[in-house]
Amino acid sequence: MTASTFEQVRNVASDIFGIPANKITAESSPETIENWDSMQHLNLVLAIEEKFGVRLEPEDIEQMKSIGAVAALVEKLQSAAH
Amino acid sequence: MAIVIQPYRPEHEPAVAEFNQRLRQACEDENMVFYRWAEPRWLPRRAESRIYNEYFVAVDDGIVRGGYALKTQEFFFPDGQTRSIAYYHHPLSEGIVNKTHAVVGTLLLRDAMQRAPILYCLGMGGYDRPLPRMLVRLGWAHSLVPFFFRIVNPSRFLRNMQTLRSSPSRKLLMDIVAYSGAGWASSMLFQGYRALLAPRSAATENCGVASFEADAEGLQSLWEQARQTCSFTAVRDAETLSTLYPPAQKHLTRLLMKRNGVVIGWAVVGERRKDAKYGNLRVGSVVDCFALPGELLSVVRCATQTLERQGFDLILSNQSHHVWGEAFRAAGYLSGPSNFLFAASKNLAELLAPFETARPRMHLTRADGDGLPANF
Repeated sequence: MTASTFEQVRNVASDIFGIPANKITAESSPETIENWDSMQHLNLVLAIEEKFGVRLEPEDIEQMKSIGAVAALVEKLQSAAH
Repeated sequence: MAIVIQPYRPEHEPAVAEFNQRLRQACEDENMVFYRWAEPRWLPRRAESRIYNEYFVAVDDGIVRGGYALKTQEFFFPDGQTRSIAYYHHPLSEGIVNKTHAVVGTLLLRDAMQRAPILYCLGMGGYDRPLPRMLVRLGWAHSLVPFFFRIVNPSRFLRNMQTLRSSPSRKLLMDIVAYSGAGWASSMLFQGYRALLAPRSAATENCGVASFEADAEGLQSLWEQARQTCSFTAVRDAETLSTLYPPAQKHLTRLLMKRNGVVIGWAVVGERRKDAKYGNLRVGSVVDCFALPGELLSVVRCATQTLERQGFDLILSNQSHHVWGEAFRAAGYLSGPSNFLFAASKNLAELLAPFETARPRMHLTRADGDGLPANF
């Protein structure tokens, strides 16, 4: 996972969960982010799709269990698309 | 292991029971449980079924983390075509009680949209609930299905309606109005005023309790003549009615309206499930209805009189079609705030486009939700 992708994912998560980006780490997850519920998970999925121009399939969505995992997923999908 | 969403089979039943137990331990709402049996008790799928329910479960390494139901049913569309579409209902995710599983709700909805792209949701309890918020966020078309009510017994209404009795001062005021007879008098004045304004019905009409099977030909003819008045409606032909409202369902009353021997409309009425906000009121519901153009008010009156004779204190109905709304108002019903929503997936909304033009002539009632046969 590159620092650039992680930063971008972190900024998206910061907007959605309403917390400062510097409080979000690669390990941040529904257990550590109070606002990360079912609704915000959907918002995160849609925001990632919009921001990175990717389509997340159910098996991708299921992997989005931490911010680091989301960033790694985005990189995987982007490299697969090129 | 990855979460896999798959049809609910009997071998999942023990895992669903454990899922329900986890939900019950963490959540006071006793309705927060998934179906105990893999085969739907209401409208199971058969080879010849035109209306059927199917259940799906989200399984993670043998553990059930959620589930949802799809009811597939034929609908009549603005282009004159009839299509089978699906109703997404009863989604339950362990994410409700354990944020580790926050992903499940999104997975369930995405899975349903893949299985049945022409999809709708109905009811849902208001825009502030999680599912409608998700649907709005996903860009589904949506609208409120108007709510109508008629107070039959003003005194009991004022003494029992818990949402009106939310503070000691309001309770006192309601009791004074109830016991002084002012509530009764104002209700009678209102009903009388509406009755004066309402058009007269022809004297030859006949309203009676009926078996829909006995008048299948008349019901079929009615459906074929009246469906064009709707931009979107569940098929309500004779076969569908006998599937949805079989005589074995004793808690529902089927009403048939005839004039000069010709079926001009029908209604299904019954007692609404108990709800704390209605206190001890007996609440009746006009669950479903259909009629020839110009005959709607007769059908609403027939349904209303039947429920009044059955001793209900309050009668409720949800009606999306504007002409049915006008008929209910003319029959003395008031409009109230609705929390009964209709939401259409993008694929469905495209078939209804423009949605705002189709919306006033959509015919959706409580019967189109998941409440039948008992929970409407």
